[in-house]
Amino acid sequence: MDVFLQLVVSGIAVGMIYGVIAFGYQLTFATSKTLNFGQGEALMLGALVGLTVVAYTGFWLMLPVVLAFGLLQGTVVEWLGVRQAIRMKSEAGWIMATIALGIIFRNLAENIWGRDDLRFPSPLPEAPIAMGNVRVLPMEILVVVGAIALMLAVELFNRRSIFGKAVVATANDRDAAGLMGINTSLVITFSYALSSMTAAFAGVLVAPVTLTGATMGAVLGLKAFAVAIIGGLSSGIGAIVGGLILGIAETMTGYYLSTGYKDVPGLVLLLLVLTFKPSGLFGKAAIKKV
Amino acid sequence: MPRILLAALGIVVAALYPFADNLLPFAGGTLASNYYLHLVVVIAIYSVLTLGLDIVFGYTGEVSLGHAGLFGIGAYAVGVPVFFKLGLPFFVVLPLGALVAAAFGFVLALPALRVTGPYLAMVTLAFGTIIQILINEMTFLTNGPLGVKLVTPTFWDFSDYADALPFLDMSTARMRMVEYYYVCAIVLGLVVIGVNRLLGSHIGRAFQALRDSPIASDCMGVSVYRYKVYAFVVSAGLAGLAGALSAYSEQYIAPNNYSFELTITFLLAVTMGGRKSRLGPIIGAVIVVFLPNLLADIRLFRMLAGIIAAVAVVSGGIALLRKPEKPRQIVIPVALCVAFFVFSLLLKNITDYRLSVFGMMILFVVYYLPDGIYGFLRQAVARVRPDLVRAHAIIREHGDESHVWASSPAAATSGGALLDVRSVVMQFGGLRALDRVDLAVAPGSIHGLIGPNGSGKSTMMNVLTGIYRPTGGDVVFAGAPITGLNPPDIAARGVARTFQNVQLFVELTVIENVMVGLHHSYRSNLLDIVLHTPRYKREEREARVRAASILDFVGLAGLANEEARNLPYGKQRLLEIGRALALDPTLLLLDEPAAGLTAPDIKELIDIIRKIRAHGITVILIEHHMDVVMGISDTVTVLDFGQKIAEGRPAEVQANERVIEAYLGGSTTTKVA
Repeated sequence: MDVFLQLVVSGIAVGMIYGVIAFGYQLTFATSKTLNFGQGEALMLGALVGLTVVAYTGFWLMLPVVLAFGLLQGTVVEWLGVRQAIRMKSEAGWIMATIALGIIFRNLAENIWGRDDLRFPSPLPEAPIAMGNVRVLPMEILVVVGAIALMLAVELFNRRSIFGKAVVATANDRDAAGLMGINTSLVITFSYALSSMTAAFAGVLVAPVTLTGATMGAVLGLKAFAVAIIGGLSSGIGAIVGGLILGIAETMTGYYLSTGYKDVPGLVLLLLVLTFKPSGLFGKAAIKKV
Repeated sequence: MPRILLAALGIVVAALYPFADNLLPFAGGTLASNYYLHLVVVIAIYSVLTLGLDIVFGYTGEVSLGHAGLFGIGAYAVGVPVFFKLGLPFFVVLPLGALVAAAFGFVLALPALRVTGPYLAMVTLAFGTIIQILINEMTFLTNGPLGVKLVTPTFWDFSDYADALPFLDMSTARMRMVEYYYVCAIVLGLVVIGVNRLLGSHIGRAFQALRDSPIASDCMGVSVYRYKVYAFVVSAGLAGLAGALSAYSEQYIAPNNYSFELTITFLLAVTMGGRKSRLGPIIGAVIVVFLPNLLADIRLFRMLAGIIAAVAVVSGGIALLRKPEKPRQIVIPVALCVAFFVFSLLLKNITDYRLSVFGMMILFVVYYLPDGIYGFLRQAVARVRPDLVRAHAIIREHGDESHVWASSPAAATSGGALLDVRSVVMQFGGLRALDRVDLAVAPGSIHGLIGPNGSGKSTMMNVLTGIYRPTGGDVVFAGAPITGLNPPDIAARGVARTFQNVQLFVELTVIENVMVGLHHSYRSNLLDIVLHTPRYKREEREARVRAASILDFVGLAGLANEEARNLPYGKQRLLEIGRALALDPTLLLLDEPAAGLTAPDIKELIDIIRKIRAHGITVILIEHHMDVVMGISDTVTVLDFGQKIAEGRPAEVQANERVIEAYLGGSTTTKVA
C-alpha cells in the first residue's frame, strides 16, 4: 500500500507538468484551432534559458525572465509558423511549420548549450520530506503548486481583463469577434505567446527534478498531446485530470511492469479515449453547422 | 499519346540503368556503381512510401506523423521471421509487411479519425515514438537495439554466363544488387499503376469529395470517416511494403532507423515534390535521398544555395516587373533566399547545423512552394501551353433519357406515410429549435415546408438527414426508424438532399460530382480497381452513362467536364439536384432550391421538380418563393419558432390566420386585448 501511495504521489508531480503543457495546447487551440507541435522545444528553451540566467539571479528572480522569454518565443512561433498557414487556409501547413521550427530550436539549443544533459540547481532542499511512509521531494510540491498557480493566473486573466475577454470571444467565434472590432490575429499571436510562456514555466519547474538538455522537451510535448486529448482539448480541468491520470498510469506501469514500457499507457489511453469519448473526458462535442 | 511514350521511355531507361556504365563508357564509369545503384533502390523504396503518403496527406488532407513507424513495422515484419530463423520466402514476406502495417494503420485510424481536427497527426506522432521504444524494449521479438541482420535475396544465379558476357560484372554482390534493383523497380511500377487506378476510381473520387465538402460527402452516402480510414490503411500498407523492401536492401534493421526525423523527411518529400500527383512524390523521394549527401558537403551546399538565390532574384525581378502592386509578397521570399545563401557562406561546420537547414527547407517549402516542384512546373507549362496540362480525366460518355432514373422505380410503401416524424425535439442549449414537431409525408407527394427565418426548417432537414441527432422524438422512414443513424446510413436508405448554402465538391468536375452521388452503385473492391477487372470496368462505364444522362436531365450536359467551382450560382444549384438524384433516392429534400435563381431558371426548376415527382420520388421542399411552393406542393407545413402552426393544402394554409400572423407580425387586435 505504501508503495502504491508513493507511486501516486510521484505520478501527481509528473502529471501536473503534463497538465501545464497540455493547458498550453488548449490556449492556442481555442483561438486558432491550431497548436504548436514544437511545444516541447518551448519547454526545453525555457529550461535552458533559465539555467543560464539562474547563475546570475537565483531561482526566484529568474522566473520573470523565463516567462518573458516564453512570451517572446511563442510570438516568434506564431509569426513564422502559424500566421501564414492560417492566412493560406492550409490545413496541414501549420503542423509542418511548427514541427520545422521545433527542429530548428532544438538544433540551435544543441549548438548553444551542447548535446550533453546538464544539471539544474534545485531552489529547494533536495532531501525528501517524509509524510507517513510516503516520501515527497520539496521540488515536487513546488511543481504542483506552481502549475496550479500558473493555470489559475491565466484563467483569471481571461475571465477578468478586457483583453482576456477578447481572447474568449475569439475562441467562441473568430469571424464574429473580428467583425466586433477585435484584432483576432493579435489575439492568436497572444495565445501563442501565453502558450509558450506556460511551457517555459513548466520547463524551469521540471528541470531541477530531471536532466536539462536539448532533447528534454520532445517526450514531454508528446505526453502532453495525449493528456490534451484524454482530458479534452477544450477543458482546463481536463488538462489537470488528464495529466494526473497519465502521470499515475506511467509511474504504475514503470514500477509494476517495466520502466521500458513506461511510455506505452499514453498511447493506449489516447486510443481508448478517442474510441469511447472522442471529445475527451471533459470536452464538449462540437455542433456541426450546415 | 505523349503519356504512353513517356512511360515507355521510363521503362526502357529503368531497364537499362544497371548497365549504364557499359552503354555509356565515356560517362566515367560511376553512373551505376554499387553506391549509386543502392541510392536508386532507396529512391524506389521511398517512392513507394511517399506515393502512399500522398493518398492521406495530399488527397484526404490529413497529416500522418507515423509513417516512419509503419515503415519500421514493415521492416520488422521481415526482420522478426529472420530473427527466429523461420526462412519464409521473399514473396511471402513482402505482402506480410504490407498487411501487418495496414493492420496497425487500421487500429490507429479507427479512433483517431472519428473527430475532425489534428487528432490523426497527434495520435500518429505518439505511435511513431512508441513503436520505436517498443522495438527497442521487446528484445525477445526484435533483438532490441542490436537489430537484425539479413541478406538480400538472389533470384537467379547468372554466374554461369560470366564467360558469355565478359563485359558485365558477374560477382555475387553485384548480381544481388542488380536483381534487387529490378525487383524494387517492378514493385514501384506496379505501385504507381495501382495508386493511379485507385485515385482514378470511385474511391479516389470519394477521397477528394470528402475533403472538398465533408458534409455533402456524408449526405451522398460517402462516409467521410470510413474513407479517411480506408485511405490511411492503404497508405499504411504501402509504407509497410516499402519497409519490407528496405529491410532487404539495407541488410540490417535497427530501431533507430525509424525516427521522427524520417517521418518528417517523408512529409517533406511529398510536399516538395508536389502533392496530388504520381510524379511529385517520386521527385520528392529523389530529393530527400540525396539530401544527406547535400547536407554533408559544404561546398556543394553553398553552390546550391547560390543557385537558388540567383533563381529567386531573377524570377522575383520578373514577377516584380509583371505585378508591381504586391512588392512585399515577392521581396520577402527573395530576401530569404539571399539570406540563406549568406548563411551558407558564414557556416563553418555544416554537420552541426544540418537539422536547422532541414527545418528551414520545410518552412520554405510550406510557404513558398505549397504545390511542390511538380505543381510549380505544371503551372509554368500551363502558362505557355495550357492544352498540355489537364487536371481532370475528360469523360466523354453521352447520356440518354432511359438512363436518368434507377432501373427499378422507387418502391412506394404500401399505404401510410413514407416519412413519419413523431414529436421531434431539437434542443441547442437553451434554444428549442424544434419543439415536438410532427410531420407525415405521403409517398409520391411534394411536401412544402415553409416558415419565417429561424423557424426551424433547416434544423428539420438536418435532423432528417442525420446531421443532428434529435433530443427527443422519432423519425420513421419507409417503415423503419432512422433516428440517431449517421448521415451516410440514412443516405444509403434513400434520402437525398441539397443544401441551402451550396455544398458542391468544387475541385471535381461537374460530371464527377454526379458520379460521387453514384458511389452506391459500385460493388468493386480495391482488388477490382487495381486489376481493372471486367466488373469494375462495367460499373465505371455504367456510372459514366448514368451521370451523363442525369446531367442531360438537369440541363448541364454541355458543362460536364468543367470544374464545379466555375459554374454560375444557378447552375450550381441544378448540379446539386442532379447529384442528389444520382443517389436514387426515395425521398428528396430540397433546401431552398430557388434561392438566387433568375425567373427563367425558376421555371426550369419547377419543371425539373415536377418530373422528379412523376418518377415516383417524394419531395420535401423548403422554399421562400411562395409562388413556387404554393404552385407545386400537394401539402404545405408551416413552422414558426420551432413549432408546427399549420398544415394542409396550399390554399388552406395561405388563408390560415396564424400563418399570416407569423409572416406579417401579430395582429393588433390580439396585442391590444
